[in-house]
Amino acid sequence: MLFQIAWRNVWRNKPRSLVVISSIIIGVWAGIFILSFTWGLYKNNINESVFKQLSHIQIHHPNFKEDNASKFTIPNTNEIVKQFKSDGRIASVSARVISTGMITSPTTASGVKIYGINPDSEITQIALNKSVVKGSYFDSGKNNEILIGEKLAKKLKIKFKSKVVLTFTNVNSEIVSGAFRVGGIYKSKNISLDEVNVYVQQEYLRELLEFIPSESNEIAILVKDEEQLDAIKNYSKTVVPKGKIEDWKELSPELGMIIESFNLYTYIISGIILLALTFGIINTMLMAVLERIRELGMLMAIGLNKRKIFVMIMLETFYLTVLGTPIGLLIGWLTVTVLGKTGINLSMFSEGLASYGFSSNIYPALDQDKYVIIVTMCLITALISAIYPAYKALQLNPSEAIRKI
Amino acid sequence: MAKTIIDTHNVSKTFNPKTIPVHAVQNVHVHIEEGEFVALVGPSGSGKSTLLNLIGGLDEPTAGSVIINGIEITELPENKLIDFRLHNIGFVFQSFNLIPVLTAKENVGFVLQLQHMPKANREKRVLTLLEEVGLEDKINSKPSELSGGQQQRVAVARALASKPKIILADEPTANLDSKSAANLLDIMAKLNKEEKITFLFSTHDQRVIEKARRVITLVDGKVASDVQQTPL
Repeated sequence: MLFQIAWRNVWRNKPRSLVVISSIIIGVWAGIFILSFTWGLYKNNINESVFKQLSHIQIHHPNFKEDNASKFTIPNTNEIVKQFKSDGRIASVSARVISTGMITSPTTASGVKIYGINPDSEITQIALNKSVVKGSYFDSGKNNEILIGEKLAKKLKIKFKSKVVLTFTNVNSEIVSGAFRVGGIYKSKNISLDEVNVYVQQEYLRELLEFIPSESNEIAILVKDEEQLDAIKNYSKTVVPKGKIEDWKELSPELGMIIESFNLYTYIISGIILLALTFGIINTMLMAVLERIRELGMLMAIGLNKRKIFVMIMLETFYLTVLGTPIGLLIGWLTVTVLGKTGINLSMFSEGLASYGFSSNIYPALDQDKYVIIVTMCLITALISAIYPAYKALQLNPSEAIRKI
Repeated sequence: MAKTIIDTHNVSKTFNPKTIPVHAVQNVHVHIEEGEFVALVGPSGSGKSTLLNLIGGLDEPTAGSVIINGIEITELPENKLIDFRLHNIGFVFQSFNLIPVLTAKENVGFVLQLQHMPKANREKRVLTLLEEVGLEDKINSKPSELSGGQQQRVAVARALASKPKIILADEPTANLDSKSAANLLDIMAKLNKEEKITFLFSTHDQRVIEKARRVITLVDGKVASDVQQTPL
């Protein structure tokens, strides 16, 4: 009977109950949308970093990163790359020769990181060919071709086919220079890297650095399934026992922190939304209690004990929440599903987003466990919100309650 | 000799004892025997409702004790008191008597459900009670669909549902027209006579007073007179 009375009480004041249910729907939807949008934004950033820059795993000479010197190399990389390519769990692997130096144009100079790449390998590795906006992707067949970022080209005031000179130190710590011609200009989603990274033919850079053939500074690996990352990392240790093997979270700790912080954001954002919801529910249920004081007094008088009065008020809140939450969840899920496919176009902010490494197209996404967290928090909030009004009802003295006008 | 069912000893109730004390009931001794039909009368503010609340265990006396059917209810803890009320006392209030979201049948059955009476027995008893108060054709009507008199009759049926020893009614006819009031009184008097239920009701209504066999008059919270009479 209590369940029945509580259910009917919910519908005694339909507009008020519908307002509360709507606020729960909006609260749940807003929580899901904000979290999915934020996760989409971060996921986008992580994907940009992993698939366009870092790869899942990188292997270096143990001293390479400390000194950032080209002389710390991994030998026999052709064999190593071959061995990795034969592993079915690996999507792509490429070896890179890396040096830091100066790029000089007729008007100015700038510090750069020079990547000596195998153009074919990098198509599947970081899809550099897709970022070319002017010229071509190492199509000239000449070994002194250089691919530079659009931002760097602007800084150096050079164009497609301009000549530039790269200056750096070789393995013998001697300064060497090489003349290059801009074969292509690329524009990635990360403008800050476009200003620093330049790409040249691997064999030519090896020659200039005086490496022995097959020596490289970096091996980058993309895995097919990220669940296999740790297993492949362990496998890499057997292939390159002396190499320093790092996954993308170690290479870019800030990306790892994004995931950690996102979990925290989940609770903070949900908490803020639910706090607003809490006051809405407290207000409504308190009104529902205060306007029924005489009735509650009568119920106590005829034999309904305080525990049952408490349960009745809690049930009323529970019903309101149970009505609102699934609808909010459904709308939220639909929003994420649809926008997860179409994306949200933020091209008007593309420049600002690109400077932080974000793409202008955001695809909201949310893991199932986050949905569960939101729903659970919503239910808990509703029940906690109902405690104060229910407690107020418990404080009533039947005779005083009956006398109340 | 009839058994004493309501017994108050020096019962007093003072509101706002620490600020501006209002002595609503002062040293009241009332002994009512089983099966009596008693009217509690007096001017507004004389303490009628307060005394009813004290006897019904809805309020705690500042001093004195209330013994109902041999049990000192002023000594009972709250939950036991609620349970005691559920099984021993029926209430009829002036207004806001029924649960608005329940039908007449459900309102009467509510008390029986609190007593965990099986559904089949409960439905039978509810129908009998509603027939007794002449509302067999309104069993599925909600309070908002009933007149004031009909609502009070449902309240009487509910008060009777748990077969209480006592029914306390606080100005039950105050909001009723003459015909409904007379009808309600006839039902109460019939139940009193046939089922030996003790009725104690506060009232201003002369028609109600005339129906009572005993009239207790309160003035300023004290018993001013307590007379037996022959009802009209």
